[in-house]
Amino acid sequence: MSIEILSVSKNFGAFPAVNEVSLRIETGEMIAFLGPSGSGKTTLLRLIAGLEFADKGEIHFHGENVTMKSANARKAGFVFQSYALFNHMTVFENIAFGLRVAPRSQRLAERAIRERVDSLLETIQLPGLGSRFPVQLSGGQRQRVAFARALAVEPSVLLLDEPFGALDAKVRRELRTWLAEFHRKTHLTSLFVTHDQEEAFDVADRVVLIDRGKIQQVGTPEEIRSGAGNTFVRDFLAIDI
Amino acid sequence: MASFIDFRNPPGSDRRADLHVRATSEPAWLRRSFVTVVLVFFLLFLILPLVVVFQGALDKGIGTVAKTFADHDVLHAVGMTLLVGVIAVPANAVFGIAAAWAITRFRFPGKAALQALIDLPLWVSPVIGGLIYVLLYGRRGYFGPWLQAHDIRIIFALPGMVLATTFVTFPFVARSLIPLMQAQGFEEEEAALTLGAGGFQILRRITLPKIRWGFFYGVILCNARAMGEFGAVSVVSAKISGRTNTMPLEIERLYNDYLFAAAFGVAAALSLLALVTLALKTLAEWQNRRQFEAGQRAQLALTIEAPSPDQT
Repeated sequence: MSIEILSVSKNFGAFPAVNEVSLRIETGEMIAFLGPSGSGKTTLLRLIAGLEFADKGEIHFHGENVTMKSANARKAGFVFQSYALFNHMTVFENIAFGLRVAPRSQRLAERAIRERVDSLLETIQLPGLGSRFPVQLSGGQRQRVAFARALAVEPSVLLLDEPFGALDAKVRRELRTWLAEFHRKTHLTSLFVTHDQEEAFDVADRVVLIDRGKIQQVGTPEEIRSGAGNTFVRDFLAIDI
Repeated sequence: MASFIDFRNPPGSDRRADLHVRATSEPAWLRRSFVTVVLVFFLLFLILPLVVVFQGALDKGIGTVAKTFADHDVLHAVGMTLLVGVIAVPANAVFGIAAAWAITRFRFPGKAALQALIDLPLWVSPVIGGLIYVLLYGRRGYFGPWLQAHDIRIIFALPGMVLATTFVTFPFVARSLIPLMQAQGFEEEEAALTLGAGGFQILRRITLPKIRWGFFYGVILCNARAMGEFGAVSVVSAKISGRTNTMPLEIERLYNDYLFAAAFGVAAALSLLALVTLALKTLAEWQNRRQFEAGQRAQLALTIEAPSPDQT
């Protein structure tokens, strides 16, 4: 699904978190929002999901204006930085949640729900762990459950907020490879937020560099690394390259 | 005896370790006297009264207690107390959830005022809690003439007693939920939202299960207070034994009639309720901790027993 962001602004009190941002994302792209903490990249992601509402500007999903639609109507798959798993539910019920709360007319039968969840458990390489509770899982496993839960409702866009932020270096790399692989297979339009350049350049088709609520540069990893950007881009990249 | 805090050697100086040890190990005499004060206080103000109540109840034998509770008026008072509780507690449970939800989830005008006002019944005298309803719904009250014209009795009848009790027990559920919900944040609710859940589905499937023990805790406190309330109810009840007396009011009536054994009998029943409440409260806390520890144990077992390739 293509996403169009048209001069969107969002203030928190007097602080402009996102300032006149415009961006077009094509169907099937894998996009990274890269920037230092407090740059507004997570706010931009939450605006797209409908977890925040823009003060100004419009957001279009596949040509349809969704600016005023709530998050449960937009149904963008969202993976939270802290995973936000439902701790009182089993892994199975976590993944099945989106299917169970669907309107009665669209709800799958119990058997179809079981099949879908079991196949997702296969996808995330955790078959047989459906009866566990989230606290019984490791960080990397929780992350993948959060991922499966978001995928269960078959969203047309996947939004990931610092998806690997809380994991150790080895697991980070494994999951990153896995995510890239998953995207190559499904071509699900995906946006992820990160402050890690290596992660952004490694996984994304295009990288959106954000600082102080504004887009500083958009381009393929090669374009950005060639150093054609402004002072911020050169400074930011120089920090840990 | 050395001073507890050595001001000549502030933290960071080379005597810091020494200072740390002294700051956490008070002299034995001080420790002992603090413990003694607490225990004596505890004995005098909590244990002794409780013992006296039960002793007074059983003074003239178990037969007297049985006779007390066979009395029509006493039974009616027990019924009234239960009836008032059955109405007031659920009302405050619903209000408490709504208030905690609104305060922790939304920004709205008057939020700070609401947050402060929730505590009001804890700060004002219960008598005032009763009096305001007399001023509103009494014969000469604000709505009095209208109520009289429609033959509705609120004051000196059950509705007034329920209103007064609801007022007094207003804060308990909300107060036990607000800090809990603030601490839990609402990421899980946001996750549910992005999965397509509506407001009521989120409340029922996510928020309520998350807060259930805190809610239970608030409800039992609210219930204990509702059943024991004297001041507010005594203002709006006509105190007619066998008609508008609750247990606390009946205790006063029996006592004033020099029926000490009976008064203590009913008092013992109310005290039992307090002990049951205490047990339930402990259970709620224990259950909460057990759930948490079970999760931790399972996690530990998982990392020890099942090292699988995807184990991270």
